Amino acid sequence: MKKGTIVKVSGPLVMAKGMEHANIQDLCYVGDMRLVGEIIEMRHDVASIQVYEETSGVGPGEPVETTGEALSVELGPGIVSQMFDGIQRPLDTFKAKTDSNFLVRGVNIEALDRQNKWEFNATKTVGDMVEPGDIIGTVQETKVIEHRVMIPHGVKGKLTAIESGEFSLEDVVAKVETDNGETDVTMLQRWPVRRGRPFKKKLNPDKPMLTGQRVIDTFFPITKGGAAAVPGPFGAGKTVVQHQIAKFSDVDLVVYVGCGERGNEMTDVLNEFPELVDPNTGESLMERTILIANTSNMPVAAREASIYTGITIAEYFRDMGYSVAIMADSTSRWAEALREMSGRLEEMPGDEGYPAYLGSRIAEYYERAGRILTVGSEEREGSITAIGAVSPPGGDTSEPVTQNTLRVVKIFWALDSSLAQKRHFPSVNWLTSYSLYLDDVGKFMDQDLGTNWAEMVQHSMNILQEESELQEIVRLVGIESLSEKDRLTMVIAQQLREDYLQQNAFDDVDTFTSRTKQYYMLDLILSFEKEAREAMRLGAYYKEIVEGTTDLRDKIARAKFISEDNVEQIRALKDEAKELIHNIVAEGGMTQNA
Amino acid sequence: MAHKIAVVGDKDSVLPFKILGFDVFASSTPRIARETIDRLAEENYGVIYLTEAMAKEIPDTIKRYDAEVQPAIILIPNHKGSLNIGKSRIQKNMEKAVGQNIL
Repeated sequence: MKKGTIVKVSGPLVMAKGMEHANIQDLCYVGDMRLVGEIIEMRHDVASIQVYEETSGVGPGEPVETTGEALSVELGPGIVSQMFDGIQRPLDTFKAKTDSNFLVRGVNIEALDRQNKWEFNATKTVGDMVEPGDIIGTVQETKVIEHRVMIPHGVKGKLTAIESGEFSLEDVVAKVETDNGETDVTMLQRWPVRRGRPFKKKLNPDKPMLTGQRVIDTFFPITKGGAAAVPGPFGAGKTVVQHQIAKFSDVDLVVYVGCGERGNEMTDVLNEFPELVDPNTGESLMERTILIANTSNMPVAAREASIYTGITIAEYFRDMGYSVAIMADSTSRWAEALREMSGRLEEMPGDEGYPAYLGSRIAEYYERAGRILTVGSEEREGSITAIGAVSPPGGDTSEPVTQNTLRVVKIFWALDSSLAQKRHFPSVNWLTSYSLYLDDVGKFMDQDLGTNWAEMVQHSMNILQEESELQEIVRLVGIESLSEKDRLTMVIAQQLREDYLQQNAFDDVDTFTSRTKQYYMLDLILSFEKEAREAMRLGAYYKEIVEGTTDLRDKIARAKFISEDNVEQIRALKDEAKELIHNIVAEGGMTQNA
Repeated sequence: MAHKIAVVGDKDSVLPFKILGFDVFASSTPRIARETIDRLAEENYGVIYLTEAMAKEIPDTIKRYDAEVQPAIILIPNHKGSLNIGKSRIQKNMEKAVGQNIL
């Protein structure tokens, strides 16, 4: 193919003339080193190429060669438990090949291992009619993920050959008689990252995704197929929240995109995940995790691609009928990469220098999340839940990335630096956060637990809101000016905050709380409140109730450390509370004055 | 809305208030006083006069109604003389309201 010539190099942006045969979004090899790049703008015969590798040493006059193909990912067995860079190069193979701790340029590595043999079990037989998306066989990829091999898009007809056995990725496992002759089907598919994979129908995401994090599951729940934003200033715990969800959410597969954040955070994932046990399957977490790493010292342009690489892989597994969660940490770095490229392209800047199309790019990404019916004749249900961290500079959420994200996501977990400073973790601010799925999840939980969960959550939220109002008064005139009722509200709110919402991600038991335990814990605090209010009505004084229940409240505080196997102890504590408070009333409340 | 006025304290001190038409509740022990006040608070009493001698025994009860709009608990001297608790309470409230002691 005809080669173009570089006329300008500006950081990751390279301009080349003589490219009239190329198209926008084509993948190119740039310079003598054959760096990978993608065309993002065409003017006459001049192509602007964002290069996914470092460009120092590249100069005008060097050749550019287009592949004529869009940036694509390889999809097939061997993806799970891998760590890729932004353009899907497997990092461990990369290291073995280059013998370097850093990215060496111009190295071309296949995303998936072609040598490895996979045990393919055919589920269709010769003569079956198949259409795109139909599963023709399975491969046990890891202990927990069964890779379902699907008919690629554009192939429809009658199966003329299929067999089980050991195959490598490029071996033909089936043949399909289509209208235009016979097509070979392998276990390997390619898909351009910037195009969403098709589905039959989008469904309303109304089933909750359990994350094991109390503040999230109870007050700001996320659903399978929902999208959430986690904005927060640095040090507020965005990464820990993302890691926790990646560890404990009850999805089949997690794609974790480390996008422009510290390399150590990816190292944490690499160190921790293989040792952690998934509470849903009992196997190592790594068996269901795919990592995409573009840490802060890796090329900026590949950061832009990493998000798309991640979501395309997620869509592929969604199409198999899995529920997938994708975490992006952080989308602000991704937006900054867009900004850098836009600046170098000399485009007219929008708010804070971000490109004018920032909003549509963010929307494009989050819209690929959702709960759907897959294509194919058997209509599986799959979902992608997208959770994006946002790092607003200075914690000011009125900046463009946060605002544009909030426009498309329905869940907002606002991390608060003042809570983080008070060592309240997860530092999700209960007054500013919201989840628009609360009603749907409430209905689901009411049925699932057979209780008045939605009502309890609403009641607890009211207490917390009331507390913040009372806090204003206390700050002005002191705690003595509150009535006894209000002071009791403050005590209950404190219990909710410290004993329920605070959760230690680094404690073995507290790090994950099941749905039942959450219900028991919340119920314990609320029934304590109910008893205390009743006692007050019967004549007991605030001081007597508070002093009489010191030990009990201590036990309630420690309920979170009761392991999942012993949740019945929390139930017992509820009865204990009832009895104790009844005794206080029985003493006539005269412990002080008698 | 009209409110009633009650007087609580030892029998000797409170009885004369009956002439004025106040509801009088004699209480011999702190416990009875406390229960009486709690009961009156539930009913429609706007002002409760309480003898200082009795008030000294039940500080918690008085504190309880400090932050409530009604009833207002006003301390009065008993027949043996004043203990000065009532006056100092008024001074304290005044200080809270205007910021300095103006009396």
